[in-house]
Amino acid sequence: MTRQYIGWRTASHVIMALLSLACLLPFVLLFTSSVTDADTIVKEGYTFVPSKLSFAAYDYLFANSKTVIHAYGITILTTVIGTTASLLMTSMLAYPLSRKDLPGGMVIAFIVFFTLLFNGGLVPTYMIYTQMFDIQNTFLAQVIPWLLMNGFNVLLMRAFFMNSIPVPVLESASIDGAGEFTIYYKIVLQLSLPILATIGLFQALAYWNDWNNGLVFITEARLFNLQNVLNKIMSDIEFLTSSASMGAGSVAAQLPSETFRMAIAVVGIVPILIAYPFFQKYFVKGLTIGAVKG
Amino acid sequence: MSKAMRMMTVLMLCGALLLSACSKGNEGGGNAENKGNAGNAGSPQAEEKIEEITVAFPMITASQQELQLVEDEINKISEEKIKTHVKFLPISAGEWAQRMNLIFSGGETLDLTYVAGGMYSGMVAKGQLVALDDLLNQHGEGIKSAFEEKYLSSTKIKGQIYSVPTVRDLAASFGITMRKDLVDKHGIDVASIKTLDDVEKVLKTIKDNEPNIVPLVPGGAGQTYRENHVFYDPLGDNMGVLPNYDNGLKVVNLYEMPEYKAFLDRVRQWYLDGYTLADAATNKTQTFELIKSGKAFAYLAMQKPGFAAQESKASSTEMVTAELIAPVATTSTVTGAMWGIPVHSKQQEKAMKFLNLLYSDPAIVNLFDWGIEGKHYVKAEGAADHVIAYPEGKDASTVGYNMLGWMFGNQFLSYVLNTDDPEIWAKTEEFNRVSKPSKALGFVFDASPVKTEVASVTNVVTQYRLPLETGSVDPEKMLPEFIEKLKAAGMDKIIAEKQKQLDEWAKANSVQ
Amino acid sequence: MEIKTTRRKRIHLRRFLPLYLMMIPGLLYLLINNYLPMFGLSIAFKNVNYAQGIWGSDWVGISNFEYLFRTTDAYIITRNTLLYNAVFIVLGLTIAIAIAILLNEIRSKMARGFYQSVILLPYLISMILVSYLVYALLSPQSGFMNKTILPMFGLDPISWYLESKYWPYILTIVHIWKGAGYSCIVFLAAIIGIDREYYEAAELDGATKWMQIRKITLPMITPIITMLALLGIGRIFYSDFGLFYQVPMNSGALYETTNVIDTYVFRGLLQIGDIGMSAAAGFYQSLVGFVLVLVSNYIVRRFDKDNALF
Repeated sequence: MTRQYIGWRTASHVIMALLSLACLLPFVLLFTSSVTDADTIVKEGYTFVPSKLSFAAYDYLFANSKTVIHAYGITILTTVIGTTASLLMTSMLAYPLSRKDLPGGMVIAFIVFFTLLFNGGLVPTYMIYTQMFDIQNTFLAQVIPWLLMNGFNVLLMRAFFMNSIPVPVLESASIDGAGEFTIYYKIVLQLSLPILATIGLFQALAYWNDWNNGLVFITEARLFNLQNVLNKIMSDIEFLTSSASMGAGSVAAQLPSETFRMAIAVVGIVPILIAYPFFQKYFVKGLTIGAVKG
Repeated sequence: MSKAMRMMTVLMLCGALLLSACSKGNEGGGNAENKGNAGNAGSPQAEEKIEEITVAFPMITASQQELQLVEDEINKISEEKIKTHVKFLPISAGEWAQRMNLIFSGGETLDLTYVAGGMYSGMVAKGQLVALDDLLNQHGEGIKSAFEEKYLSSTKIKGQIYSVPTVRDLAASFGITMRKDLVDKHGIDVASIKTLDDVEKVLKTIKDNEPNIVPLVPGGAGQTYRENHVFYDPLGDNMGVLPNYDNGLKVVNLYEMPEYKAFLDRVRQWYLDGYTLADAATNKTQTFELIKSGKAFAYLAMQKPGFAAQESKASSTEMVTAELIAPVATTSTVTGAMWGIPVHSKQQEKAMKFLNLLYSDPAIVNLFDWGIEGKHYVKAEGAADHVIAYPEGKDASTVGYNMLGWMFGNQFLSYVLNTDDPEIWAKTEEFNRVSKPSKALGFVFDASPVKTEVASVTNVVTQYRLPLETGSVDPEKMLPEFIEKLKAAGMDKIIAEKQKQLDEWAKANSVQ
Repeated sequence: MEIKTTRRKRIHLRRFLPLYLMMIPGLLYLLINNYLPMFGLSIAFKNVNYAQGIWGSDWVGISNFEYLFRTTDAYIITRNTLLYNAVFIVLGLTIAIAIAILLNEIRSKMARGFYQSVILLPYLISMILVSYLVYALLSPQSGFMNKTILPMFGLDPISWYLESKYWPYILTIVHIWKGAGYSCIVFLAAIIGIDREYYEAAELDGATKWMQIRKITLPMITPIITMLALLGIGRIFYSDFGLFYQVPMNSGALYETTNVIDTYVFRGLLQIGDIGMSAAAGFYQSLVGFVLVLVSNYIVRRFDKDNALF
């Protein structure tokens, strides 16, 4: 190991540590504010070391723990099902598109790409899903619209396939008599774990953080996911804050508004933080296995 | 490329076919349903069938389970009295506008809906609401008798009523709300506060004696001082207003009024003297929190009878109020909260019958406002019959059912909490009666002919409104710039359009 | 001759049939989720009246588009949108690539995992909360900048939310801080996917690290970079609403440097809530992006066919 490399490595560590700090500190601030007394925040602003603690925001969430836990369940279920389905669909579309010999491949790639630029907007999409498929107030409404597959991921995966799967490998498999589905399953998927892990992560985050589908398609509380529940509380607070003169005061007085936003964020993020190291293990493993085989 | 385009066209065409097919399917379904109804109506002997109507209203943090209980109780009454089953569609208040958009675009079942004042004329212009006049004559006796004529007719657009306001405080006064402990401590005579000059003296007293307290904060996050001190008829949207609620019905630009300039200069001086919140232009903290935490002393706000008690409760601090602008009824104050029937409702008569109950049946009103007796409230002991209390050991935050009372029909039929003034409805009625009507009361502006200009002007207004009206920037420099940009954005065209509509309205209603 | 080609075509088809079959679910989804709703674009040319129904409403030509162009604001919002996006594409990509390369240098799995999760954190926080965190930093009275950092250098406090000149920097920093961790994941996957043999050979030849990065890493990930840049160009007229609306706290004094097309449309339609006009804005944004992408894709194609998107 030459000196130059050690230099690079140290530099990398230093820079990454600084960046991590820049990302970590605000999060710490987020957490401390969530346990700060609401009046103290109003008077003293946000601080790392609050002069008065209060768990009022968490108490409020805890009082609604039944709803929150149920919502966690919905979120986890949608994330798992959605991500799996999404990976399958995305890769099955991306692989043929990555084949340069596929007739019409460019046209289809363009069709995929076009969806990234133009969209009909909220109202028409809503009408299609509700009038043609009656999707409102079903579990599928949390999984399918907008999220299930997007052109960006397809094109990204296609670029990776093109880049990292050697054409000779495919050709020799084909000569050995393997069908396209076998090739896709046995070779393509195995060789592209890095991109599957990457897109899987993107999709999982998208599902975890999504509130739009619930907002648009769901009115029954039993189908709300975590973000829907938290956002509902938030938007109520927002509404009350901006329309204090509407006589909603007695309702407003019940909500610990300032600290609440922070607590809500913490409740939404912490599970990801707990799950991430486990995921990370597979993620990195996926990356490196892919690399070794490639 | 051209190949791709061709492909796209084909795809689009497929889509068009599918889409038209599905919309046709829907129509077909609708027709079949209608025929069924017609068949029923055809046999005169048959007893009136119970029909279902869907009713939408904004809701804040009430739990859905409790709401279901209330819904069941309300249905017991409505099924018996008007053969109608009511299905609630509660919508989170913050999501209201978006969801309404979806419901109307998607043509979903909705038979009766709350109408927020700011959206009223737009909804009528877009054809979202049906005219109610005939329905009111047939089934709306209770609604009509709940109003003074001047109020119900002030919702008319082109001679027809499209929504019915709720019965509540239909006029508005403006004033200052202050912390009572500090008022007492510094011997401030509340009764003597009549003008902004008086307010200024009070603020000075607080500033001089309480260095850690901000004397004046806005009435709400993102609001300005002017919004809570309205000295003219805003004619809906503040773009073109009527000074002195009269001005011979001549519409002028608010931002060019000398009174506006004077107000800005005063607020600016307050800001420089440290009388007001320094970051009012970006403040996102609720006024109640500012008061509760002891950071602020007072705020300007729109008032009504019982306001001091309401605000004291909200900020857990005893407050006193002084009136600066006497109550005036304008179209905006009357149309603030209303109910209407969506254009695609198939049960318009039933919807009107149910709406009528909201204005005439105390049992229904109180179920909406307070929930179920014995569970969500109890009759207060040793008080008048309409005075109630929370059940033993419960309060507003733990009782599980909370609604905004002014939203559901006739608030005068509502019970009163034992912590409030038992005479509050009598006082509110009096407030409505004595309030001075604006000369343009009943004029509803339809902005759709100038919507391009409205979009541009709205942008300019949001840019300058907060900094100027909170005193954060120098009006000498910014106000001329503001006015110039308003003109460039088409303010004059909006005012001309408004003047035209107002003149037509005056002629049609013979207002001089 | 003709018979021969059809036969060849048939063989061709049989060979590729499984591949086409594979694509059906995905394409079907795009049809339903993306193409069918595109009829909504026609709303941009209509004066929507619900009594007539959306499809039965009157056509009004391009009058729904007028508000986007008729004032001096049009220049400001277009300029802001374009410049911010240009900076975001260039800086965003550069920094994400740099982070990915640095992460790749770190051999300890633990450390790498830690850094990677931590720099992803900002991505998980909603823009509203970011706006509160920024406010904690910049608040005129209680913010860290005015209370702690500026006094340290003997500087006067600054009214951050009233001075528009600082905001191009603030918004760029916030954007990168929030998104870099996320976008570097793609590059990291690409870099790890590069065959180690290239590097080993280069090391034997005595190439420096810097040269390895320039001659191996960057060329190997160029297709990904090109693709992301092209996609960024396609969305150059769109902007992150939360970043430009929430983070500056909707402060009017900052519009000069914070108003972009999305915030302009939002504010303009707050009162009238006209879906025709909002559809018009979306159509305009898409159209410009579309044209720009076609042009840039054409240019890329001229240089290197493989890197073009289509």
